[in-house]
Amino acid sequence: MSKAFWTVFFLVGLLQACRTPFDPEVASQASDFLVVEGYLDSEGKASKLKLSRSAPLDAEGPFVAETGATVTLNSASGESYLLDEVEDGSYLFEANVSEEQSYYLEIVLRNGERYRSTEMRPIVTPDIIDADFLLDEEGVEVFITTQGDQFADDFLWTYDETWIYRPRIRVPYIYDAAIGNVRDRREGEHIDLCFKNEESPDILLETSSRFEEQVVFRQTITEIPRGDERIMERYSILISQKALEEDAVKFWEILKKNTEDIGSIFSPLPSLIGGNIFSVDGLDRPVVGQVSLGVVRQKRLYIDLVDVSPWNYLDPEFNDCVVEQEPVLSRFYDPVFVSGGVLPARAHIPEGGTMVIGYFPTSRRCGDCTLYASPIKPDFWEDE
Amino acid sequence: MRKPVLFFPILFFLLSVHAAFSQQADRITGFFPGISFLRFVDLVEEETSYRFYLKESDVKDLTVNLEARQHRLEEVLAVIFDKTDLKFSISGEQEVFISRGEKMLVAFAPDYFRQNTVGTSSLVQDEFVRNRRYTVGTPGHGAEATLSGVITSLESQKPIEGAVVYERESQRQTITNKEGRYQLTLPKGNQTLLIQNIGGYTEQRLLDIQGDAALDITIGEGIFSLSEVVVRSGALTNVSRPEMGVQSLSVQQLRKLPAVMGEVDIIRGILTMPGVNTAGEASVGFNVRGGAADQNLILLDQNTLYNPSHLFGFFSAVNSDMVQGVELYKAGIPASYGGRLSSVLQVTPKTGRQDKIGGSGGIGPLTSRLSLDGPLGENTTFVVGARLTYSDWLLDYLEERADLGASRAQFGDFNASIQQQLGEKDKLRASAYYSMDKFQFDPDTVYSYSNLNYALTWTHYFNDELEADFSLGQDKYDFAVRGEDNPLNSYLYGFDISQTFAKAVFRQEKGDRHLLSYGIHGIGYDLNPGKIDPYGAESIVIPDEVAREKGLEASVFLGDEFEVSEKLTLSGGVRLNWFGFFGPQTLPEYASGEPYFPENIIGDTSYGKGDLIKSYLGPELRLSGRYALNNWSSIKAGVNTMRQSIHLLSNSSVITPTDTWKLSDAFIRPQTGVQYALGYFRNLENNAIEFSAELYYRSMQNLLDYRSGATLVLNDRIEQDVLVTKGKAYGLELYLKKVTGKLNGSLAYTYSRSLMLTDPSERKEQVNRSDWYPSNFDQPHTANLVLNYELSRRVNTTLAGKYSTGRPVTLPVAKFEYGGSERVYFADRNSFRIPDYFRLDLSVNLEGNHKVNKIAHGSWSLGVYNILGRDNAYSVYYIPEGGKLSGYQLSIFAEPIPFVSYNFRF
Repeated sequence: MSKAFWTVFFLVGLLQACRTPFDPEVASQASDFLVVEGYLDSEGKASKLKLSRSAPLDAEGPFVAETGATVTLNSASGESYLLDEVEDGSYLFEANVSEEQSYYLEIVLRNGERYRSTEMRPIVTPDIIDADFLLDEEGVEVFITTQGDQFADDFLWTYDETWIYRPRIRVPYIYDAAIGNVRDRREGEHIDLCFKNEESPDILLETSSRFEEQVVFRQTITEIPRGDERIMERYSILISQKALEEDAVKFWEILKKNTEDIGSIFSPLPSLIGGNIFSVDGLDRPVVGQVSLGVVRQKRLYIDLVDVSPWNYLDPEFNDCVVEQEPVLSRFYDPVFVSGGVLPARAHIPEGGTMVIGYFPTSRRCGDCTLYASPIKPDFWEDE
Repeated sequence: MRKPVLFFPILFFLLSVHAAFSQQADRITGFFPGISFLRFVDLVEEETSYRFYLKESDVKDLTVNLEARQHRLEEVLAVIFDKTDLKFSISGEQEVFISRGEKMLVAFAPDYFRQNTVGTSSLVQDEFVRNRRYTVGTPGHGAEATLSGVITSLESQKPIEGAVVYERESQRQTITNKEGRYQLTLPKGNQTLLIQNIGGYTEQRLLDIQGDAALDITIGEGIFSLSEVVVRSGALTNVSRPEMGVQSLSVQQLRKLPAVMGEVDIIRGILTMPGVNTAGEASVGFNVRGGAADQNLILLDQNTLYNPSHLFGFFSAVNSDMVQGVELYKAGIPASYGGRLSSVLQVTPKTGRQDKIGGSGGIGPLTSRLSLDGPLGENTTFVVGARLTYSDWLLDYLEERADLGASRAQFGDFNASIQQQLGEKDKLRASAYYSMDKFQFDPDTVYSYSNLNYALTWTHYFNDELEADFSLGQDKYDFAVRGEDNPLNSYLYGFDISQTFAKAVFRQEKGDRHLLSYGIHGIGYDLNPGKIDPYGAESIVIPDEVAREKGLEASVFLGDEFEVSEKLTLSGGVRLNWFGFFGPQTLPEYASGEPYFPENIIGDTSYGKGDLIKSYLGPELRLSGRYALNNWSSIKAGVNTMRQSIHLLSNSSVITPTDTWKLSDAFIRPQTGVQYALGYFRNLENNAIEFSAELYYRSMQNLLDYRSGATLVLNDRIEQDVLVTKGKAYGLELYLKKVTGKLNGSLAYTYSRSLMLTDPSERKEQVNRSDWYPSNFDQPHTANLVLNYELSRRVNTTLAGKYSTGRPVTLPVAKFEYGGSERVYFADRNSFRIPDYFRLDLSVNLEGNHKVNKIAHGSWSLGVYNILGRDNAYSVYYIPEGGKLSGYQLSIFAEPIPFVSYNFRF
């Protein structure tokens, strides 16, 4: 709706509506507080709780992780599960806990500040009925179908995308300084197959009771426009379905509203965000975070180029990439290939000859996908 | 403009002139060293009982240079007028008539003016009618006599409603009713009766009142409208009327104000008044004295308008051609009005002329208007009018230049009324109003809304003292959105309100000192707060509906305007308001003492059709008084309490059409408020300049604010999201207005605050930790300027300016990472402000010539809105850009917007 309203304002103001930067002076009031994020899986799947600090709006650089905290999940009946810090600010939970009782999370920071969550009851998220994609002129639409039940009415979907990334020019050779010569690349040296990964920032919420028999039918998860890089060869999306309790829905809705709706004129007032974590010591400083406990249902989907072709992916950034016409002869390998900026792309065997006497080079940015993505194949990845 | 000298400034007295007058009356003694004739006149009038009647322009270059000793006025004037073509005549009542060329005849037959109607358009006679003293009535006992009669228009022969009839010395006054009738009790003897037609002349009759008399007067309405004295219905009353906080605006005044896209707009006019503000430039919702926009009762005649705007708030929905004037009550609300907390905006519609069928219309860049009015037989008059947009050409034009998608907008409004005189004492009027709006921003979503109002009013005159209006009608508002983005999810969402009302108002004069008004007022509400249905065969959207709400509001009221003494007038009233919420309805029961949370529901109760679920009863008190310090200044004070049982659910900073309405029910109590006000009123320069200063303090209970993240659309348990909120508002309003002269206008300054507080006992959420926080429309400093300069009779220019403190906003102060992205953390509610607002507009109105017999009178109105091109912030917002959150301010009319429109009447 926001775009629509924008449009009318442009329109009636005879295109007079305009926007200019706005930079008010904001006191450093309450800009440093604890942020807690996590959906802990109650059936033993590895899940993480993330602790971080907020930052002033104009701060640059990454957010500071809250390290060295002691995090435990306690049940009403007294069991206690410790979450180990596996990365900076990332605490691992991997326990199959009973869904029959309630729990609370306890966080003690390095500086001694203590926080606690309100009581949580694990929600058993129903299975994903179907996840698939549709192809039309616009591109690909990934959707999900599920059904709510009496315990799980509200859903949050998140997704994680991974895709194969290929460089414009495949470079099968490598200059090996040890032998002073060019040779074939070996295992671990390949630079023509990489994987890109992105965690989606979208907040997808839906209430199943809005629909007949609580069936959420073909809920759009993401749309991939035709020609997008993601389906240059093989694409995979992992969709996570998490059922939420009502409080958590409110939290995510506020988060979503405060992020996505603020550009519109008729958008509601931004709302104060809180969550289910509070300071045990009654500190008058905010803490933001909604921790949920429940079962995460996941479904992975693969889409191959052949499924969608003609796809017409072409990144104009690399349109100047060519294999040079002029070969680099063997006596010049040393100065040319040593720096790594120029790569031997094709072997040069003169007409009638049988020996490689040089290589046609290309620049590294055209042939090395590790500049843009990871060459390591993710564990889950299944090839066709 | 011909202006009797009597009206001429006291300024002359302030200058020192060495002149002295002898004790012997009516002889002139003094040294007049080259002073202007007008000053001479003033001095003479000061010291003698002579009264001069002249044309200012006749004597403007004339100076008096002589020394007089016990001379008779005739001798002195003969010397002064020597070698000029000025002539004078002096009547037996020491009235001095000065004319050019021909000497004016002053001896008339004593009964010359006994005839009921005096009036003419001929210049000479006109002058003469004004300056001649008429003897009326037959001598009887008593010191006072009552004049009554009908004021009719010279041009249209229609009775003139709302004309102010007043006596100059005693300031006694009355206003003509819808039939043009007036009744005024005055001391016997020589009196000057002035008749002020809204937007027209001030007519004058010199009377020698002998006893009760009937006096019908025909006055020119607007042929000379370029030099008319405009809108003085509230003007003279500035000082003398008992109520305070009342602002009037005539349609003539409105027309002079610069208009956006050439659309004359009543609500933009209202916004030039002190104490009235708006949260956003393109929002028709206005805030009066720190109240929310839904706390204004907008009445078109007897009908309530729920959405007074077109195009989501760009233009007001009332066609200015169909309006006679508007009156805004910010305080001192008469007991006959009620139902809203902040103000009453009474829009008075035009009534049909009686002589012939005429009309008016206009052509602007966005809309065209046409209206017709006139007689339909001897006792029947009608008015019809329509306004339609043709904005689609604009959209098409723009679409080629900008990516506007498939935007479409249509709006229109229609008025009709018919009035039938039934004998001497009865009158029947039927009126109807319809407005519609339809928008489409993309092919998939269509928004539409409409107002439909109709009413039947019967006016009966029981006798000279008592008259009554009985009205019956219905007000409907309905809003819909149709979404067809995806056949599976296509929906039709809407809400609607229908209210049926019956009202009886009696006005009764009780002796000379009491003016009573009393009556009953009933409103039946039938409200659908929200409903969604699947649209199309494929849609799997589940129909959902918030249960329809039924309510009944009944009020009885009694008001009295009591003239305690010449100095003190009190106006008071009581309105007893009862509101009942009726079934059918199923309501949850919450555990007693627990907050309204879903988990505290312990059961539910079903109520059948017509069952009374909950009722609220409360008195409303209206009291105001005026104490006249002297003829030109007074002090007023008042206290008002109000109740409101229907609420607009809105949690955005400006009114949006998707905001739905809700009745008070078992959980949501009626909003209540009290306002205390104190004011000082003073007229300067012989009523040419009015000044007022008003102080007010308001407190409000049971206001609606919402917990964070509350969804108001299709929320059938709104009490779970409502926070019990109190409000307070206070301020000082200063207003200076010059009503006459080539240069006229007004300057208003308001200091005001409007604050809210979540009740500390509220357990759902406490906004800003239960501290007072500014409301969305808290704008402490506001100033408005309207300057109108008449270059000539046909050309006048208006400059309008507005300044206000930026409204409060809630801003992000920190960022954090969540759900895979950077998110924003917002500071306390309304703890920041958008930049201050300032705008200047200019308009020029060009009138065609004013020959009476022309087929049509045309006029052009052109101007520039926001002539400085200042990009005033409408709102501010933050969007993530390149991984960083950037703040932007959005301006709507950021450049000068020229407009031109052509208006005509015939």
